Amino acid sequence: MAMAALPPSAWDKEKAGVLLQRAGFGGTPEEAEALARLQPWQAADSLLGSPELAQTPPPESVTRPGLTEQQRLIRRRLNLLTPKDREKKANELTRAVRAEQEKRLTDLRGWWLERMATPATAAREKVVLFLHGHFATSEEKVRNPVLLYRQNQMFRERALGSWSDLVLGIARDPAMLIYLDGARSRPEHPNENFARELFELFTLGEGNYTEKDIQESARAFTGWTLRMTKKPGEAMDEETTEPYFVNNPKWHDAKSKKIFGKSGSFDGEDVVRLALEQPAASRWIAGKLWRFYTGSSPDEETHRGLVSLWQENKGQLRPFLQAMWTSAQFYSPDLARNRVKSPVEWLVGLCRQLGRPLPAPALAAEMTAQLGQKLFAPPNVKGWDGGITWINTTSLEKRYEYGSWLVGGTLGMRRLGGMDLARLAVQSGLLEVPAPMIEGNTAENPDLKKEFAEKRKAAAGQARELLAVSPAPLAPLAGPEERQDPGRLVTHLSTRLLPGEPPPPELQARYRKAAGKTTPLNDAAVRQTVLAIVQSPVYQLG
Amino acid sequence: MNEPGLKTRREFLRTGLLGSSLCWTVPTFLQNTMASLHAAADGQIVQGVTGKDGNILVVLQLAGGNDGLNTVVPLGDDDYRRARPTLGLRDDQVLKLGQKEKAGLHPALAGLAKSYEEGTLAVIQGVGYPNPNRSHFRSTEIWATATDENKASSTGWIGRYFDNTCAGCDAAVGITLGSQTPQAFSAKSPKGVLYEAGGSKRRRLGADGEPEADGSMAMDGDLEEGPAGGSIGDIAGSSGKINALDFLERTEMDVQVTQKEIAAASKRGKNGVPYPGSWLGNQFALISRLIAGGMKTRVYYVSQGGYDTHTGQTNAHERLLREMGDAVTAFLADLKTQGNLGRVTLMTFSEFGRRVRENASGGTDHGAAAPLFLAGGGIQAGLLGKMPSLAARDLDDGDVKFNVDFRSVYATVLEKHLGVKADPILGRAFPLLQAYG
Repeated sequence: MAMAALPPSAWDKEKAGVLLQRAGFGGTPEEAEALARLQPWQAADSLLGSPELAQTPPPESVTRPGLTEQQRLIRRRLNLLTPKDREKKANELTRAVRAEQEKRLTDLRGWWLERMATPATAAREKVVLFLHGHFATSEEKVRNPVLLYRQNQMFRERALGSWSDLVLGIARDPAMLIYLDGARSRPEHPNENFARELFELFTLGEGNYTEKDIQESARAFTGWTLRMTKKPGEAMDEETTEPYFVNNPKWHDAKSKKIFGKSGSFDGEDVVRLALEQPAASRWIAGKLWRFYTGSSPDEETHRGLVSLWQENKGQLRPFLQAMWTSAQFYSPDLARNRVKSPVEWLVGLCRQLGRPLPAPALAAEMTAQLGQKLFAPPNVKGWDGGITWINTTSLEKRYEYGSWLVGGTLGMRRLGGMDLARLAVQSGLLEVPAPMIEGNTAENPDLKKEFAEKRKAAAGQARELLAVSPAPLAPLAGPEERQDPGRLVTHLSTRLLPGEPPPPELQARYRKAAGKTTPLNDAAVRQTVLAIVQSPVYQLG
Repeated sequence: MNEPGLKTRREFLRTGLLGSSLCWTVPTFLQNTMASLHAAADGQIVQGVTGKDGNILVVLQLAGGNDGLNTVVPLGDDDYRRARPTLGLRDDQVLKLGQKEKAGLHPALAGLAKSYEEGTLAVIQGVGYPNPNRSHFRSTEIWATATDENKASSTGWIGRYFDNTCAGCDAAVGITLGSQTPQAFSAKSPKGVLYEAGGSKRRRLGADGEPEADGSMAMDGDLEEGPAGGSIGDIAGSSGKINALDFLERTEMDVQVTQKEIAAASKRGKNGVPYPGSWLGNQFALISRLIAGGMKTRVYYVSQGGYDTHTGQTNAHERLLREMGDAVTAFLADLKTQGNLGRVTLMTFSEFGRRVRENASGGTDHGAAAPLFLAGGGIQAGLLGKMPSLAARDLDDGDVKFNVDFRSVYATVLEKHLGVKADPILGRAFPLLQAYG
């Protein structure tokens, strides 16, 4: 059963609003109207934009060496020190490395969130976010942020190309080679970790391969490993130097293997090809993309349609996505408001809809982390489960709380949730690390403890200012006309904040109640109404 | 679904009584109304738990696949020594269980060895299921849903326990210490709230200036954590049978009613013994306070990740077991001082054990059957099940064979501890173990 294209006559601004939300991170009613004026296919095309948009300078800190020259010098000379001094210096270096890594990760997260919040790059970045969850790799194990940046940029450059390039790209990706232990795999004892997840999670799904296929494929991948740029006399490590991919024939098991019933002296490239030739391969990725973009598993008929679409497009993501986004099934009423926005989508989308800037990188990153989606740190190799698993008592409460900051600002607030603002500010390099924080354990020294407490308090105060969230501008949210009539304000705000069909009357009544009856509605009333929408279950869906 | 009150509660939400104030608090009258609705629903809870009685299950997931052979170690076993030339523990290192048993605990589990002597710890050996699956996710799912390895289920075994015994009761009948509801809680009528004790996670530039435990920068040092396991899976299964809006509305209400109740209980309850400062220690300290504080919760669930020790296992595994053993030991001691030890069973599990033979990176790969622990006042100490043979002819593709189906352990806990019929929850009968006195 083929996927039916949405007839142009059915294309309107409600559907454009839905597409804007699902394909990207949401937007304004004006953007939805502009999309609605295009033909569906052109609208989808315009969201993805031109290939050059994949190119962008990385965050500055990522391009710097991991250690300063002086730190490198110290590290080279560690062996010349007495054991006690050596340990002290080594610990100092470790802390410096960790601090720098935290700063880079914060920069990286802020940089990526900005790209998501930029209309021209939003849809491409949404694909990158999908890929980040699909080929999950975490900084918990891959500690060098440069490698995570490189992987992220690889996703960006290949996001709209062919699936096999992406799968090959991840098989040779240094961060992945560390994350799933491929870099350590040797012929005498091949590591099965990557081969297993390649089949189970990345390309085929459980039940579509045998244990033997995994063992043989692990042998085929041997030789794909990392090399460090080693300077003479310098310690080698993957945290501060930049390992790169090499195909090392000495470490490759060139003997014959039998994979998916075929025999040959296969290597990694062959395994990827053989896996993607499996009938399960199109079904797996097409279904997963549908779930990501609609929030529901496809029914069998739709799933078959998606598989044909995938095959017709020869595994090219761009035409597949455009066809999926412009299919009639994509806008089926069954799918309306049944997809939970991920924390990243929630944050970026809310800022876009409110016409406000993102919070400072450290705070924005912490918000999504607290809501369950810490970028560059998915919970495990399966990525985020998504759907209603984003929602639990804790996360919903936090969405409501952060929503109030983004609508009303944090001015005058003494505490921001349970957040450790001093830590966030230090991590992002906005604040210098107060001396006692790096001097180690203060428990045994009362004076140091007091000094620490004071500096910490001062740092928290400074951090509150540095990370403050400004109130959302009200001009786009309510004009003079909307302020005259609560009903009109609610309609206006619902259009802006809840794309798709208008909310049911009882919900509108709930929002109207928040606006109050005193007209013209003052700023506080407008904010309360916005907040009533943001702090409602339906806003979490898109 | 038999959920008295829910429809009414949803009507409350829909008619717009909530969400009308900037600081998002519920009017007191509404809170009271909801509390009484919950009280009405409480009538369905098995045996009318009042918070002072009623048995409690604490599930501790060792996520990532705990190496069973280095947790409960076979003594005088040449096959073990041959398979584990570098990782193997010597007989004189392990903590022997009893006088004549041929097994001992990892040296980092001193507290648990003492519990065994005191009679509050049972060790079930060789727990698993037929045709073991070596995928973290699938095997975790099998343990969570308690189905046969070739069947799927959209509900978990704990969720079915709730469905069968208290479909209308308070969401806080199950509490997960952590940030995601475990798949075992999946239910027709989902229950369970999340609540987590604060405290240091791991491996971060401590703002408090605490140096990291592991100062090594070297490539071959311990990997701090593998892919952090934790609770895996989605609540409704992947079929999306639960309407997202319904689920959100329900959760919104749970936020209002339940979180406050839990916070209050955690303040009322006091810890009677010191706990280790680890994240896991903090969670167990919190569970103990909630029990002491009178929560009516029947199941607490906590997960410790990091057991996926493919590389550099020796130090990593020791650290994990020490963290686990110390936290559990403090918890059991605390329950004893409270007088609640008899009401509580703690059950550990991991999605699989690890291969018998160590690998070339100083670690072990995904395996099959493994031992688990049951601890608590009602437990009859002892070694149950058989220590699996490691002889080559007895292995299944390099893995130990199971001799106790994990659902026998569930059935035993359900029947002997929680006092419910296990068959409707597990789908069929499984032999019970002699784990309770």
